[in-house]
Amino acid sequence: MTIGADAIEGRTSAFGRLIGRLAGRGRPAGDDSARDPLQLRWGILSLPGVLVLAAIFAVPVAVLASKSFLKDAGRARIAPGFTLDNYIRFFTDWFYFRVLFDTLVLGCVVVTACVILAYPVAYFLARTRSRYRGFFIFLVVAPLLISVVIRNLGWVPMLSTNGFVNWTLLALGVVDQPLRLLNNFTGVAIGLTHSLLPYMILTLIAVIQRIDHTVEEAALNLGATPWQTFSRVILPLSRPGLLGGYLIVLTASISAFTTPALLGGRRVIVLPIYIEQQMRHALQYAWGATAAAILLLTAIILTLASLSRSEEAR
Amino acid sequence: MGRWSLRAAVTIVFVFLLLPVFYVVMSSFSATATLAFPPRAFTLDWYNKIPPQYWESLRLSLYIAIPTAVVSTVLGTGLAIRIARWRGPGRAAFSAFCLSPLMVPPLVIGVAIFQFGIQMWDWFGFNPTGTAYAIIAGHIALALPFVVRAVLAGHAHFDGSLEEAALNLGATPRQVFFKVTMPALMPGITSGAIFALLLSLDDVPVALLVGRGDDQTLPVRILTTLEYSYSPNIMAISAIMIYGSLLLMLLLDRLIGLERLFGFVRS
Repeated sequence: MTIGADAIEGRTSAFGRLIGRLAGRGRPAGDDSARDPLQLRWGILSLPGVLVLAAIFAVPVAVLASKSFLKDAGRARIAPGFTLDNYIRFFTDWFYFRVLFDTLVLGCVVVTACVILAYPVAYFLARTRSRYRGFFIFLVVAPLLISVVIRNLGWVPMLSTNGFVNWTLLALGVVDQPLRLLNNFTGVAIGLTHSLLPYMILTLIAVIQRIDHTVEEAALNLGATPWQTFSRVILPLSRPGLLGGYLIVLTASISAFTTPALLGGRRVIVLPIYIEQQMRHALQYAWGATAAAILLLTAIILTLASLSRSEEAR
Repeated sequence: MGRWSLRAAVTIVFVFLLLPVFYVVMSSFSATATLAFPPRAFTLDWYNKIPPQYWESLRLSLYIAIPTAVVSTVLGTGLAIRIARWRGPGRAAFSAFCLSPLMVPPLVIGVAIFQFGIQMWDWFGFNPTGTAYAIIAGHIALALPFVVRAVLAGHAHFDGSLEEAALNLGATPRQVFFKVTMPALMPGITSGAIFALLLSLDDVPVALLVGRGDDQTLPVRILTTLEYSYSPNIMAISAIMIYGSLLLMLLLDRLIGLERLFGFVRS
């Protein structure tokens, strides 16, 4: 840690420090990068970035937030006058509350599936001395370079009534009737798990690598079974870092639009889908802004929680 | 977990990860136009019959992705260097500002730019939404924080004494910046640029909300086409995108190493 940077961060708010962690990540101990022998006018170098970010991000988000307190006056028209009506409506009507609830349930299902699937792979990749390790890492990272739409697209023929998954399940005698796996909650959960799994694996590899492998060997030598070693040694030791990854994947899955749209067939109404319907089809711009503000707040809360978690994990 | 059960679990997860990608490629050669498994015969027909509007969409996607990557890399590098060399208070607040789009769901960025466009009509009498420029603006907002993080991660490994040595040998600060600092930061800048390019080619929500209905980027075209019909043509154009990605991946893996390239993504 850079002494200067730490001292500066120590004086700012907890919020600023949490976000600062995001920036300081990857700084090795004893690193000296805040030293600046050049003393160029870096402020001018960064000014265009600040202005552009304000114009295309900060101001639009502020406009969005302000419109969430207005009221719709018909399609594509907003009436002036500050009101909390939209927020009251969202949290008092069971239907909208249900949309938010379903979004969070989907996120929890996806993140749990990701943890279960990621652990064995991450453990294997963190501990293996195989000379093919690089190739296996390649296989984990490679899907991230392919568009989510295309990765989801592969699931469409696989999950259809007479597709590969049902064909396999019928052939193995697991089911008698083909299952409905597409255009419903199941399909969306499978697609999201698939697209977010690499992030969870990469997070867990880093977490498991930090656990001293002699602790594991000690447990095994003292007579613990491999399963006991996992559940009583590795799992507790990786919990802080795991929670960080858990919250990151949870945030990504409640924010996701593409997968619910493609594999949910407009029948799975999660918050991002609902917002898009209001903006593009119902043309209720103020109401859409309110729903977007609520999604944004949820994402911010989860991100800050994950940052404070990864702070503790260090 | 015994050794063999671990291996079985790892194999199953790898199959789960890679099968859908493989399936797109396989379906693009399938002679039957239905979703049934197993396919009965293979053909190259779908590649010959890709409708021209898909190529149009691919062209638009690249027309948006390349400026996005260039602009966000230039701006993001400036911001990252500013953060890394910040002296005095306010560093955390400044980096929080630069990285704040990371917390915002892409769909919300799309809605915000859409609403801002309407507001601009009230203020200035013109509304940029519906043009490629509005999509580029949204994609820059998505990509900028990732570039900042990639360059910062590279800067952390940068040895400041190199700059001192160059100064002592008589180089001007400007010369040092272009001949020592920038080359040393290049790996981080490159991975930021590639990530920005991929992010732009991947995005659906921003392009859908801010773009025009009749002039769609490729991911949006695939999504909206799939909403009313399935055709193996989609598989063919998607398979072509996969071949492109594979080529890029092999190239990057040889040049930089994928693990290093995307090390900054996890956190």
